[in-house]
Amino acid sequence: MFRVFIKSFALMVVSALSGSVVIFILLRSVGGDIATVMLGTKATPEALASLRESFGLNRSWFEQYGSWISGVFSGNLGEAYSKQYVISTEIVQRLEPTLILTFGSLFISIPVALAIGVYSAMNFQRWRGAAVDGIAQVGLAIPQFFLALVLVIVFAVHFGWLPATGYVSIFTEPGTAIRSMVLPIATLSLGITAVFTRFVRTSMIEQMNEDYMRTAKAKGYTVRSAAIIHGLRNAAIPLVTTGALQIGALIAGSVVVENVFTLPGIGRLLLTSALTREAITVQSLSLVILIIILSMNLFMDLLYGILDPRIRHKESRK
Amino acid sequence: MSESNPTVNAKQTRTALANRSGATKSPQLILGIILTGFVVAITIISFFWTPYDPVGIDVESRLTPPNLSHWFGTDRLGRDLFSQIMVGSQNTLYVALVSTGVGLLLGTSLGLAAAGSGQRWGAVFTRISDIGIALPSILIALVLATTLGPGRLSVIVAISFWFVPVTARVVVGPARQILALDFVEAAMTHGRSRLYIVFRQVVPNIGPIVIVQTSMMFAAAILIEASLSFLGVGAQPPTTSWGKIMMDSQPLVQQAPYYSLLPGAFIVITVLGFNLIGDGLAVLLDPQQSKKGVV
Repeated sequence: MFRVFIKSFALMVVSALSGSVVIFILLRSVGGDIATVMLGTKATPEALASLRESFGLNRSWFEQYGSWISGVFSGNLGEAYSKQYVISTEIVQRLEPTLILTFGSLFISIPVALAIGVYSAMNFQRWRGAAVDGIAQVGLAIPQFFLALVLVIVFAVHFGWLPATGYVSIFTEPGTAIRSMVLPIATLSLGITAVFTRFVRTSMIEQMNEDYMRTAKAKGYTVRSAAIIHGLRNAAIPLVTTGALQIGALIAGSVVVENVFTLPGIGRLLLTSALTREAITVQSLSLVILIIILSMNLFMDLLYGILDPRIRHKESRK
Repeated sequence: MSESNPTVNAKQTRTALANRSGATKSPQLILGIILTGFVVAITIISFFWTPYDPVGIDVESRLTPPNLSHWFGTDRLGRDLFSQIMVGSQNTLYVALVSTGVGLLLGTSLGLAAAGSGQRWGAVFTRISDIGIALPSILIALVLATTLGPGRLSVIVAISFWFVPVTARVVVGPARQILALDFVEAAMTHGRSRLYIVFRQVVPNIGPIVIVQTSMMFAAAILIEASLSFLGVGAQPPTTSWGKIMMDSQPLVQQAPYYSLLPGAFIVITVLGFNLIGDGLAVLLDPQQSKKGVV
């Protein structure tokens, strides 16, 4: 297991470094010159040159990349072009709402999807199973920002139960913080719950036909207990793989959700930086997001081994 | 439950085969075709006719709720919302069409190349495509918007950037399986060229998978385009799109809920339609799976 971890970790570092090269090149090769974008096309050549000088944009790409990556390792990502904040502290400060949002959604959607998915798999040729599948299908088609607006119309405007915007840290005022996160987490959860439910349903239906399920029933288990005790563990394995893929979707979703509910998370920082052409912030922020996605993938890989001993033993024999 | 009488089984199989003769076996497909057909029809009509001038500003009647003359009401500048939604569908479908096309073309080619290459390259390919799939299009679109500026081009590039590894990954497995079959070996011993094998033997056999994938990607592209336009990174004025209309409606959500709900409903209908077509085709093209209830 330890060897598997080292191998996966090394692969993750390599992936993150190659990702950083891609981000770096994307931000420099595609568009115009950052200085021109910031000062406008009417800027004097002297002003442009001095701006480039102060941001180190006149150095070679190789040097720029080197100083960026060494900054990443030492935690010094520099200051934003607008000089309003130090990038690394800003990112750390904004991690809290994003992490509460994404992990909150994961923790809610996984058990809900397991319960609904197993229920629908056990009823798969009846109308109840089909109804669950139909609802999940609609859930997949609802864009997060639309769901967010509907929830705001119903729960914030019509009933006035929950706040539509605003965020306080969970460490200062836990009660208000939880209330303000209910609608955002609900919004982000719906889509992934639908994806997970469909996966649990599909893999559970496959498991229901396996021989070991018949054995369990012959031993006197009811269909439901056989499904929960034996089927679920096997059905959870493909869920782990989809889960890894859904991390990216969760982060993308949090960009949307944080903007609708004006939460001060990294998704909101990313959008405002992109719209104000803060390339230096976007560069570091994209790398942070990439690292979050890759480490969640690593975690899922390890979880895969824990859930499925067959994989664990196969890997360690190599 | 699997211990049934063999004659019943044979009878069941016969009925299943008889029912499969048409789309009757797949109500999802029919519903999907109806929903997307409706949206596509509206898009085509919008090129020739809209009830009102979609950009005709009439401040006097701004934010009028739906009524007989303005079916969907008016927006914040008094423009007819239904006309806006009709014209907005053009941009949405255009982005979906181009990005799906690019993703399909490059992704299938890459997937086929990877399937035909050796094991070592295959492993490298898997790793790279995994990273590509894990990167959300919205993230790529925001990186592109920083340099290229917000707009349709950034959105199309970002969505295609994600579709290429997704398609490649879907294609590579089945393509590898087909390359291992006897008829491919037979073609090789007959001295057929690689191109012949790829285009006459592999492509037709992976066709169904690619078609299902196309319809799913179309739905995904519509969702991503709408989200990006909603965030202000997608369609820029004077171009409008469903997401853009909803971005404008968001501050007025208390006064005029219909202004957000109606364009949102169109997005849901379209995405649902394409997803249902994908699901329905998957069932229809792979009866083995549909019998197990696996969609």
